[in-house]
Amino acid sequence: MSKRIAVLVFPGTNSEEETLRLLRDCGGDAHLLHWSRAALLPKFDAYVLPGGFAYEDRIRAGAIAAHDEMMDYVIDGAREGKLVLGVCNGAQILLEAGLVPGTGEIRRPTAAFTRNGPVPHFVCEHTYVKLAIDPARSPIVAGLRPDELIPAWAAHGEGRLAADDKHLHELQSNGHVAFVYAHPDGHVDDSATPNQSALNAAALINKTGNVLAIMPHPERDGWSFNHPERRGSARILEPSGGATLFRSFVMGVKSR
Amino acid sequence: MKRTVAISLKIPDNAAYTTLTTLQRLQLDVAHVERSEVWVVEDDGSPDDFIARMESNETIFNPNKHRLVDLGVDEPRPGEVWIAEHGAHNEMREHLGGKKIPGVSQPRRFVGWRLLNRDGAPVDAPVVRTAAERLLCNPAIEMALYEGK
Repeated sequence: MSKRIAVLVFPGTNSEEETLRLLRDCGGDAHLLHWSRAALLPKFDAYVLPGGFAYEDRIRAGAIAAHDEMMDYVIDGAREGKLVLGVCNGAQILLEAGLVPGTGEIRRPTAAFTRNGPVPHFVCEHTYVKLAIDPARSPIVAGLRPDELIPAWAAHGEGRLAADDKHLHELQSNGHVAFVYAHPDGHVDDSATPNQSALNAAALINKTGNVLAIMPHPERDGWSFNHPERRGSARILEPSGGATLFRSFVMGVKSR
Repeated sequence: MKRTVAISLKIPDNAAYTTLTTLQRLQLDVAHVERSEVWVVEDDGSPDDFIARMESNETIFNPNKHRLVDLGVDEPRPGEVWIAEHGAHNEMREHLGGKKIPGVSQPRRFVGWRLLNRDGAPVDAPVVRTAAERLLCNPAIEMALYEGK
């Protein structure tokens, strides 16, 4: 029986279609699941939280959604070992829910993807993110090569990782920074980071490796027509680099 | 002199309502939530026209949808918590919403959340603190100020 992936739709989610399509293109049995049908979530084997503005980012990005009934099931599923991927606003929700980095209590966040620096403006930039952990650390990235570079679009006003010094040290020393922003040649420095994110972090992962929160959108570089250097390609629906992470996620789901 | 104003919506505040339903989901005994943008400023201008000067800044105040209240003191009212982002004060210094107001300097901005019970009275301080710790404030990026500070 195929493993089913739920793509969660909160009021205000807006990236569910491309997320769904890329998961399916990568071989996943993915389905949209709206907030009014939360009780169906236990029937799914994995969860993907797409980008958008869940509950209009009221209070803070992800704050209300983290307390939504859907997240009760996601938290239960994550504890059972189900794979969970959050992209952009989905990542913010996972941090507000305390699932990532998972170093504190549930729904007591210890970090946040918050207002960009140095100027708190929205950024829309094509970026690369580089795998910063051993692929064996997580089934979500097990299909990637060490140091693999993935293209993605940073499209956020609040994508800067922030936490106090103690928690930042914990994130770094315990391998919670899953991806860092990088130049196209793989070099990592502050100039590759579009938002002054602490530790150049683009993504965080929990201790057990089954919940990943990534700020830039790999699914928006999922096909040739999305990629800046391949837009002239005759095969516009050829898979692009962003599909790599989704393919690895789907492989991880199927292997459970 | 130091002045403090709270600017809130006089039209229905959907964000406050969503916050209310989430607090109730957390089993907190709250029946009404008032949200405001609180500005604590130094004012060297005439006290007589302070409110008019604040209301002249259309970036922070729209007379069609906002009301502005002079709070008098620079601390949260009973039942209220003020939330501020770490480091946000420096970015906003000398400007309110990006537009300077004559006589006004050193502005500090907070989001004020005032929680009321079924009788319209402020909820007790422990309820305010719990609401902040469980929903209104992410300590990784924000600080909370309570009545009496």
